[in-house]
Amino acid sequence: MEGNGKVRIGFYALTSCYGCQLQLAMMDELLQLLPNAEIVCWFMVERESFEDKPVDIAFIEGSVSTEEEIELVKKIRENAKVVIAVGSCAVHGGVQSWEKDKPLEELWKTVYGDGKVKFEPKMAEPVENYINVDYRIYGCPPEKRDFLYAIGTFLAGSWPEDIDYPVCVECRLKGYPCVLIEKGEPCLGPITRAGCDARCPGFGIACIGCRGAIGYDVAWFDSLARTFREKGLTKEEIIERMKIFNAHNPKLEEMVNKIFEGVKE
Amino acid sequence: MKNLYLPITVDHIARVEGKGGVEIVVGDEGVKEVKLNIIEGPRFFEAITIGKKLDEALAVYPRICSFCSAAHKLTAVEAAEKAVGFTPREEIQALRDVLYIGDMIESHALHLYLLVLPDYLGYSNPLKMVDEYKKEIGIALDLKNLGSWMMDELGSRAIHQENAVLGGFGKLPDKSVLETMKAKLKEALPKTEYTFELFAKLEQYGEVEGPITHLAVKPRGDVYGIYGDYLKASDDVEFPSEDYREHIREFVVEHSFAKHSHYHGKPFMVGAISRLVNNADTLYGRAKELYESHKDLLRPTNPFANNLAQALELVYFTERAIDLIDEALAKWPIRPRDEVEIRDGFGVSTTEAPRGILVYALKVENGRVSYADIITPTAFNLAMMERHVRMMAEKHYSDDPERLKYLTEMVVRAYDPCISCSVHVARL
Repeated sequence: MEGNGKVRIGFYALTSCYGCQLQLAMMDELLQLLPNAEIVCWFMVERESFEDKPVDIAFIEGSVSTEEEIELVKKIRENAKVVIAVGSCAVHGGVQSWEKDKPLEELWKTVYGDGKVKFEPKMAEPVENYINVDYRIYGCPPEKRDFLYAIGTFLAGSWPEDIDYPVCVECRLKGYPCVLIEKGEPCLGPITRAGCDARCPGFGIACIGCRGAIGYDVAWFDSLARTFREKGLTKEEIIERMKIFNAHNPKLEEMVNKIFEGVKE
Repeated sequence: MKNLYLPITVDHIARVEGKGGVEIVVGDEGVKEVKLNIIEGPRFFEAITIGKKLDEALAVYPRICSFCSAAHKLTAVEAAEKAVGFTPREEIQALRDVLYIGDMIESHALHLYLLVLPDYLGYSNPLKMVDEYKKEIGIALDLKNLGSWMMDELGSRAIHQENAVLGGFGKLPDKSVLETMKAKLKEALPKTEYTFELFAKLEQYGEVEGPITHLAVKPRGDVYGIYGDYLKASDDVEFPSEDYREHIREFVVEHSFAKHSHYHGKPFMVGAISRLVNNADTLYGRAKELYESHKDLLRPTNPFANNLAQALELVYFTERAIDLIDEALAKWPIRPRDEVEIRDGFGVSTTEAPRGILVYALKVENGRVSYADIITPTAFNLAMMERHVRMMAEKHYSDDPERLKYLTEMVVRAYDPCISCSVHVARL
């Protein structure tokens, strides 16, 4: 905090759809926060933004997708007391990492042909591959309450906690029909981090895992694996689907393998 | 060399969606070079969805852009449905239009009040306007909230809607919710008119006045709207959507991760003003009256007219959504979804996203995407936008650099560019 007692906040964008900042900008609650905060950098709303000034809290949205963005995240880290990776791109590399195992040149050729640009593209990566991140806000986009909880907790001088239970828990509490068991659709609710109140299953839509995978040492995997199998889903299908938002998760394949190995005949 | 000139640059244009910059090089004979640098990294959306299951690809496409994710979702879904040979029922189409209008209302309100208005009122950010401009900020929030809520109810959320799927919707709101929506839209009408009056008073800079070729989707059913199967240009050329590649050429420029586009070899414009230029005869209601009485301000020759055109559309689409909800209610109860058989095929959908023509061309083979071509409004606009920035720079290059930066940024903001959106344009 500077002399004025206000928390200095920066919102920085890497490569993304700008949805995480839009979600925050669309919150009417933001107006209540303003008297306590000073916006040092937030190009989407503030013309007088400065990328290299010190801040108390740095929110970073987007994946590191150009060589220039590697330098940017390092600079943000140096200038910030707390760094928060916001959303699926910053936390897990985002949907643009879906084909991370393909050579960049191949993807480039498909979209740009022989065209060249003067900036240096690279395969999208999570922010954490380059700097230490203090806290993560999950989701594509995050829920408004994710922002409220994180900001509110930090402003109160405390530290927010991670959610360690899956979407299924919230879905059961809401009493929605099970998309996986009743409709046989490839719902990732059982292995996806909760916090959305099972938004998609609530609309009868199978979860696509936008909040990322939860830790893998959990008890319900045995029965889940049986259900995935009974519904005819293969391990490869689950991995392919999990990779939409989780391609850089180092534990992903291990976790899915464990689920399928766990099936007791 | 008589003088030493440094380039005038804006590294990161503020109050637009995505990362872009402006670079102006001045020499002894005036402006030498003007570049809109698009520095947002590439995301390869077409490439990464090839070979993927159709429903998973359709979940990913909206992630191209948060400001118009409903536009991306609905256009991608229509292209996929055309590819597999499915046509949605009329009432489902009406509700898709309402969802799309939710996006239009939210996007226009955000652009006009939060991105454009602060420049005119002398603020660097919209949040600073709260005390002095309570009424305006109140209206901005009300309209934004209305659009978001329409998307929450019909699309599952305001950003990245999952509830629009092949064959219809996962789930539809109760009848009472649609009735409430109608009431809220009626309540919003005076606020949209206030917005129009407010923006009709703002300056349109004569520096960028000149001929512009405008392209827009020809509305289906001859009522001003979002969906259509033909594209229409202000030079009176009309062609089926599937033929877009015969008329519009995309090419890579070295200073931009987004490609530029030419129509018959020349830059062109898309967006709200382009829709009015091409389709004003299909307006109706209060919007038609306002258009007739403000034609002199809604000029096809000035990109700043795009701001007022968006304000006019706020009036129009609010009224239009009420009529569409009535159409849907007349058929109540509505079955949310039809089974869609996933056959092989190719489909092109062209719709009007808030910022202009959005093209999706998808080929489906064995239930997976085998070809994808997406062109977004900002990618269409970039060449024209750069030309208008140059026109502004040529008139003001000897001014104070801060003033020049401010004016060129305003040109860019009038286009309401979706820079993130523009960075995964298609194959050559």
